[in-house]
Amino acid sequence: MNTQWILDIYVPIISIVFIIAVTLYIVRVLKGPTIPDMVLSIDCLGYDLAVFIGLLSLYYGTSFLIIGSLMIALWAFIFDVYVSKYFIKKELGE
Amino acid sequence: MLIIEEIVLGLGVVFITIGAICDLLASIGLNKFPNFYVRMHAATIGTIGGAVIPLIGVGLIALISDQLGTYKYMVFGVSIITALLIMIASPTGTHILANAAHKAKLAPVQPKVVDKLEEAEEK
Repeated sequence: MNTQWILDIYVPIISIVFIIAVTLYIVRVLKGPTIPDMVLSIDCLGYDLAVFIGLLSLYYGTSFLIIGSLMIALWAFIFDVYVSKYFIKKELGE
Repeated sequence: MLIIEEIVLGLGVVFITIGAICDLLASIGLNKFPNFYVRMHAATIGTIGGAVIPLIGVGLIALISDQLGTYKYMVFGVSIITALLIMIASPTGTHILANAAHKAKLAPVQPKVVDKLEEAEEK
């Protein structure tokens, strides 16, 4: 079944909602009083971007983009680990 | 036009819509809550409801979309694995972050009634 007809209608509408969510996250990153607030909203931003890239990989019908969304999701987790390790131990353990 | 494909398509679209709504609510919540620890409640809505569920929806739609050819099974597998990894990684990530923020005293517990962890640390 070719799902291109519903993706052409559906993905632009959903991308508007995603763009509003991303701008609100960016507002929190800029406004965030403390550093953990920024890290938290960058975290949510990363996972949100992973979903959006997954959606685009459906929309454009290519299978290469979905690997990028996996990498972004893993990067968002590693970002938390490094930042919190730096908060406590002031070194990154390289 | 198998009926099962219509059902799977509808299910995928519903999952992605739920994800988009959860994401919107989480981003509004992230801006409106008073301090860092309360904002983490909104962050989990944003990560689990806003990232895991739509990725499952993307996987479901990929399963029946023929324009991907034989790669549709790969897109399905990778999106389900990404959803699973986010389900595992995001709570641990935010937990580590909260522990570091509290221990390094970076995020003030502003509207505070009682902070048991602080009392336990003083002992």
